[in-house]
Amino acid sequence: MFLNLLKKEFTLALHPTSVVFVFFAAFVFIPNYPYEMMCFFSCLSVYFMCLSGRENKDIFFTCTLPVRKGQAALARIVTAIILQTALLILAAALIVLKSFLFPEMTNQAGLDANFALLGWGFILFAVFNVCYFPLYFKEPNKVGKPFLISSVVLFLLIAAAVTASHAIPFVRDYIDRPGFVHLGYQMTVLATGLVVYAAGSVLAARLSVRRFEKVDL
Amino acid sequence: MNVLTVSDLKKEYPRFHLKSASFSVGKGRIAGLIGRNGAGKTTILKSIMNVISSEGKIEYFGLPFRENERLIKQKIGYVSGGFDFYPLKKLRLIGKTVSSFYDDWNEQTYREYLERFSLDENKKVNDLSEGMKVKFSITLALSHGAEFLIMDEPTSGLDPLSREEFCDIILTLSREKNISVLFSTHITSDLMRIADDIIYISDGDILLECGLKELINRYKKVSFKNVEAARACKISVLGLKRVKEGYEALVKTEDLSSFEGEAKDVDLDEIIIHLETEKDKKKCF
Repeated sequence: MFLNLLKKEFTLALHPTSVVFVFFAAFVFIPNYPYEMMCFFSCLSVYFMCLSGRENKDIFFTCTLPVRKGQAALARIVTAIILQTALLILAAALIVLKSFLFPEMTNQAGLDANFALLGWGFILFAVFNVCYFPLYFKEPNKVGKPFLISSVVLFLLIAAAVTASHAIPFVRDYIDRPGFVHLGYQMTVLATGLVVYAAGSVLAARLSVRRFEKVDL
Repeated sequence: MNVLTVSDLKKEYPRFHLKSASFSVGKGRIAGLIGRNGAGKTTILKSIMNVISSEGKIEYFGLPFRENERLIKQKIGYVSGGFDFYPLKKLRLIGKTVSSFYDDWNEQTYREYLERFSLDENKKVNDLSEGMKVKFSITLALSHGAEFLIMDEPTSGLDPLSREEFCDIILTLSREKNISVLFSTHITSDLMRIADDIIYISDGDILLECGLKELINRYKKVSFKNVEAARACKISVLGLKRVKEGYEALVKTEDLSSFEGEAKDVDLDEIIIHLETEKDKKKCF
């Protein structure tokens, strides 16, 4: 039944731009650009999904279907997780491709396109999910305020990463390196990101479901 | 056997309080939930669908709702006004998506209702008239073999002919397929036409729950030339109000033996209006 809910999210609830934003993983080919912005666009797609869901009365409709109320919230979060993960998997493939095509291309505007960037992307998504979803599911008709708060936090973290890539010697010398240079450090950041993302998403889902079950639609 | 039993249902909003509502809907019965705007009809219907959180006991088919939400929702259909979800999506996509949620979805029944209601699957929800939207909602509800339909003001946007058609459909479902229906409305003529039972709610309070015939027989209408004449009446009068030729009020049929004037039959509209007038009067004093 939960698979049907996910299918419903993709066929009825998903805003078309949400899929387009997955392909913003190609940002990694732009010279001197803060690649973390692709994560922001993915978060924007979640906002669009919730916005169009409000206009379509999607959540109310879902709650009239034979599902438990909390599952409606869970399905929305899992859909976001699928979109976020798809973006970073595509980005991983493009980073590998880039490292063969342009092995020397560095990024002056933020972290280089490498596996550490992906780990940082997972951390950004984790923070967004923890901030956005519990606020949104507390009052699903108010889509803008949770997104504004989450975006401010997201941009602060992106700014911190850009600053760190210039100001912190360890980040500059070992993390912010193109291709597979210092791969061990990169993979450590990636693994940390995955753990933080998993924990953050579980926390976001638990808080959201609990809050949504008390919401009056 | 009851398909729905609600006990002590409570819901508190800052400016509205649903006070311990209790009622039931029997198998194959059509129950009308009536009351003025803001009386609490939608709050009750949303509560029994778990769309809003509430306190109290809700049982469908003898099973507690909150513990068996998924299972019970397989057997009930919810129709809210018209179908105002996903206005830019085609009926085909919505029908296909909804069908995947129901174990007992019957594609043949779905096609039959689409044809019967002249619903074109290639149309978008936006392209449907209000009447067609209600029909699409009913089509979805009936195609999964719902045994109980919950409808929130399904006839409010319909023209008289469409309302008549709606009433025909509901009557047929109840009488031929033994499907139970609970529907809220403030159009009492629809209730007079099809309802078996009436649940009357006023200001968050369920004031009446009984059979329609019993309710109609419970009251009579009496006329007075002036207020003094009404006050001098030996039996208690309810909801005294001015009409063109003097005053009118309700009296209980059982009290009529002590009344000397003429008493007339009343319809549901008149009962509700007089009871509301009586309630407002008590509030004022």
